[in-house]
Amino acid sequence: MNKRNITPAIFAVAVLVSACSSMPKTTTLLDQTRGDYVVAEGNPSVARYAPLELKQAGEALAKANASARDDDSSADIDKLAYIAKQRIALTQEVAKQKSAEADVANSGKERDQLRLNQRTNEANQAKANAEQSWQMAQVAQNDAAIAQRDAAAAQRKTQEAQLNTQDAQARAAKLEAQLAELAAKKTERGLVITLGDVLFGTDLSRLNAEGMRTAQKLADVLTQNPMRTVLVEGFADSTGASAYNQELSERRATAVQSALLEMGIARDRVAVRGYGEAFPIAANTSEQTRQLNRRVEIVVSDDSGMISKR
Amino acid sequence: MISNSKKLSIALCGAFMAMTIGCASMKAPATADVAVSKAAVDNAAGAGGVEYAPVEMNSAREKLAQANKAMTAKDYKLARELASGAQADAKLAQSKANSAKATSAADALQDDIRVLREELDRTSK
Repeated sequence: MNKRNITPAIFAVAVLVSACSSMPKTTTLLDQTRGDYVVAEGNPSVARYAPLELKQAGEALAKANASARDDDSSADIDKLAYIAKQRIALTQEVAKQKSAEADVANSGKERDQLRLNQRTNEANQAKANAEQSWQMAQVAQNDAAIAQRDAAAAQRKTQEAQLNTQDAQARAAKLEAQLAELAAKKTERGLVITLGDVLFGTDLSRLNAEGMRTAQKLADVLTQNPMRTVLVEGFADSTGASAYNQELSERRATAVQSALLEMGIARDRVAVRGYGEAFPIAANTSEQTRQLNRRVEIVVSDDSGMISKR
Repeated sequence: MISNSKKLSIALCGAFMAMTIGCASMKAPATADVAVSKAAVDNAAGAGGVEYAPVEMNSAREKLAQANKAMTAKDYKLARELASGAQADAKLAQSKANSAKATSAADALQDDIRVLREELDRTSK
C-alpha cells in the first residue's frame, strides 16, 4: 500500500526537477529587462531617434542573456541585466529628448508664423485706424463746408429780408405820401381818409365830381398797392329816426364802394359798413357840427390786407 | 641539480611574470573604466542630473565610490563591474536631464504659441 502511494509522488518530483533543469536560467531583473527591451523596440520614436542607443542596449541585453545561458550566478546575471536595463531606459530618454527637440523646432516655426500674423494684424489695424481718421477728417471738412454754405445762405437771406424790409418801408412811405394828398390821418387802425357830405350828390347814392376825383386818387393808390384793402364806413347825424340814419350811412358808404368798383378795384378789396348815427365826431347840436358827423371814413389796411375792427 | 633548480627558478620567474602581466592587464582597463565612469558622472552632474535624475545620480556616485575602494583593494574585476554600472547610471541620469530640459522647452514654446493664438483671436475679432 505504502509503496504504491509513494510512487506517483516520486514521479511527480522527478518531473518537476527535470523540468526545472531543462528550463533556461533567468532572474526577475532579467525578465523585467527583456520586457523593457520589447517596449523600447516597439516605440516608433525610439526607432526613429535612438537607433544607435537601442543597438547598444540590445548588445548589453545579449550579454546578460548569454550569462544566463552559461548558467552564471544570479548576481552576475543581474549585474549585466542592470546595465542593459539602464541602457534601455537611456534609449527611451534619448528618444524623448530628440522628439522634444523636434517639437521645439516645429513650434519655433509655428510661433514665428503666428508672430508674423500678429504683426500683420497690427499693421492692418493701424492702417484701418488711419483710414478711419482720414474719413472722419473728410466728414468734418464736409461739415465745415456745409456750415459755411449755410452761413452764407443765412446771410443772403438776412440781406434779402433787409431789402424786403427796406422795400416795404419804402412802399409804406410812398403810400403815405400818396395818401397825404387825400388828407389821410394816421390812426391806431391805420390810415383813415374822411370824406365830408359835401362830396356826395343830392341823392346821396353817388359821389359828385369833386368826390369822384378823390375816389380816383384812392383807386390809383389801391392799384399801386395791390396788397392793401379798404373798409368804407358810413356815418350819419342824429337828425331823424335811427333806422333811416342807418340806411343813410350805408348808402353813403356804398356810393364810395361803387365809385371804386367803377374805377377797376376788385369787390373783395372794398368792404362796406354803415354805423348810422353812432360814433359821432362832433356834438349834434348845431347845423355846422352835424355836418361833420355826416361823413364817410375810409380805413386803409396794412400790407397784409388786415383792418382792425372798430 | 643546477639545471633543475635553474629550471624551477625560470618557471617561478615565468609564473611571477605571468601573474604580474595578468595583474597589470587587469589593472589598466579597470583604471580606465573608473576614469571613464567618473567623467560620465561629472558630465551628468554638469547637465543637471542631480536635479532631474536624483536616484540615478546617487546610484552612480555610490557605485563610483565603491569602484574606487575596489581599486584600492586591488579587486579590479569588481572595480570594472562597479564602474560600468556607475557609467550606465550616469549616462541615464544625463539623458534624463537632457530630455527633461528639452521637454520643458517644448512645453514653454507650446505655451507661447497658445498665448499668441489667443491674442490673435482677440485682435482679429
